[in-house]
Amino acid sequence: MSDESQLNVPEKRLLTEDDMKLWKASTTKQDLLSFIEMLAQSVKGHENEQIEKPVSQAITSTETILLTSVEKFIENHPVPDNTKSRFGKIEFRDFYDDVQSHSIELLKETYPSLTDFQTTQLSTYLIESWGNKRRIDYGSGHELNFLCFLYGLTQYGVFSLETDSVNLVLIIFIKYLNIMRILESKYWLEPAGSHGVWGLDDYHFLPFLFGAFQLATHKHLKPMSIHNDEVVDMFKDKYLYFGCISFINSIKTSASLRWHSPMLDDISGVKKWSKVAEGMIKMYNAEVLSKLPIMQHFYFSDFLKCPDGVTLPHDSKEGNIHDEELEEGLSHVHNTYGDCCGIKVPSAFAASEANKKTQRRIPFD
Amino acid sequence: MQIDRTISLLKQGKHITEDAVYALCLKSQELLMTEANVTHVDTPVTICGDIHGQLHDLLTLFDKSGGVEKTRYVFLGDFVDRGFYSLESFLLLICYKLKYPDRITLIRGNHETRQITKVYGFYDEIMRKYGNSNVWRYCCEVFDYLSLGAIINNNIFCVHGGLSPDVNTIEEIRAIDRKQEVPHEGAMCDLLWSDPDDVEKWSLSPRGAGFVFGQNEVNQFLHTNKVELIARAHQLVMEGYKEMFDGGLVTVWSAPNYCYRCGNVAAVLRIEDDLQRNYTIFDAVQPQDGVGNAIIPTKKSQMDYFL
Repeated sequence: MSDESQLNVPEKRLLTEDDMKLWKASTTKQDLLSFIEMLAQSVKGHENEQIEKPVSQAITSTETILLTSVEKFIENHPVPDNTKSRFGKIEFRDFYDDVQSHSIELLKETYPSLTDFQTTQLSTYLIESWGNKRRIDYGSGHELNFLCFLYGLTQYGVFSLETDSVNLVLIIFIKYLNIMRILESKYWLEPAGSHGVWGLDDYHFLPFLFGAFQLATHKHLKPMSIHNDEVVDMFKDKYLYFGCISFINSIKTSASLRWHSPMLDDISGVKKWSKVAEGMIKMYNAEVLSKLPIMQHFYFSDFLKCPDGVTLPHDSKEGNIHDEELEEGLSHVHNTYGDCCGIKVPSAFAASEANKKTQRRIPFD
Repeated sequence: MQIDRTISLLKQGKHITEDAVYALCLKSQELLMTEANVTHVDTPVTICGDIHGQLHDLLTLFDKSGGVEKTRYVFLGDFVDRGFYSLESFLLLICYKLKYPDRITLIRGNHETRQITKVYGFYDEIMRKYGNSNVWRYCCEVFDYLSLGAIINNNIFCVHGGLSPDVNTIEEIRAIDRKQEVPHEGAMCDLLWSDPDDVEKWSLSPRGAGFVFGQNEVNQFLHTNKVELIARAHQLVMEGYKEMFDGGLVTVWSAPNYCYRCGNVAAVLRIEDDLQRNYTIFDAVQPQDGVGNAIIPTKKSQMDYFL
């Protein structure tokens, strides 16, 4: 059984509502939320182009080495035109494998100051940032992984919040978002856990959050402006929020925003962007960081410590071999399902059979 | 008659009072309680796939396929979640069920559960439309009584998801105690969650519930139960329907332009007396702002964050 202080690889831990109580009260969650809030505050009043100068080496390397390499992996895996199915393009899995197999080497090249241990910790979050390989989907939980990646780099002293925070959003996050847009449209990523019309967006949350802060001090633009196509077009490259509205409008062409995105329609009724910005933080805290269906996939690590008392991770090597299956919540004590891949059931998991009902991850549709 | 008035309101997407929903739910529970886990249905009958709250498209479906006055229907589940009008779509179906009990069979989908509707939109929809969760609770009570499957002329087995390694015969499905929240595993869960694919044997499902099954499992099931077709829904098909395994299984999908973004057409499958299969394809209709039934509810519970 691994002790947290010697945790070798990041692990998922949150499985039950009791776990969630401990998580919600934890300093880990508070620190992560504060990090997001600090990034958001730093871009208040900034247009996308208004980056902070000089740009640090760490920001430049992240942009030109790490993220550019990820972009190149996409180019290596084109999708043949003749595939008729709407379902996620399986070439995404090859892209994902590329990121996975190169992550350590890329991290070492981009951040030479990191130790091997730190690189291993970070690589999990980097790999998880682009969606789910098997389901070929993407959602706010994956987006959160990228934020955790940036958080870890900040904890390890690669970034400094004082000098890098503006650029972490306006250079790094925007570049990440652009890569995600390519992945979403090229490989037809499914929205993970989509609430349909009842969600904020099919894929993203943070560009709305950062975007609302960008606009919080704007003298003329109002939340209601998202209904004005000309305004959206004029500001889509200047502010993340308008960029998101423009993207949605380009995908959902057959009905107006109030039908396909009633929540964005509701938010447009708020008088001031500063209220939207405050609300986005509250909403992110409640709808992402406090929701079990998302947080059951959250990784704890060296720099994101799991609160004491949370359900123990499955121990032993078998647990790791089976990680994907466990992640999917499939029981390995399914009696009539004889062979069960022929691999021994991890003991902690088997032991929890009695209360497994509450310990199953919520399935996907 | 009260039910006709409700049907008329629902068709316009108009608000139904909490009390009226409660009364409807109670009545439909009484009716559904008397039905078997696997209902017998006669031909001719029209099989319909996922609806997901797309009320306008559901109305088109009835329009294009004869309507409930003249046609018998089997709905394969997933009435709710994701779309704007989950409540109205579900209530319309149970109103029809109450008015024409022999003409409409409602099978439970994997979305007709408390856990899933809390995640995928129906709960949010109710909170926004009513400001409290009562109506959601009433509907969930009804979900627990929906059938698990249907059998058409002893020849076509209808189910939402697919097969289960725990189920060899349709008789075994009849033995399930279905009046409960869908469990996380076992036969009842699998019937609602499983998917067909090109696999050699039972495989793990990436969904995290149910299994993936292939031609072998389908052939075995068809043979054992002396049926010729498994009709199921559960997966979007761009063309509205898709036959697999030499026509031994069909997926029917009835939510066009799913979630306003998928660009798919929808289909229903009519089974004639001679068991011939006729597919009807239809496109999405779009709600228009300021026209006809564009009633948008005004309770905005999510807005608490922004006050």
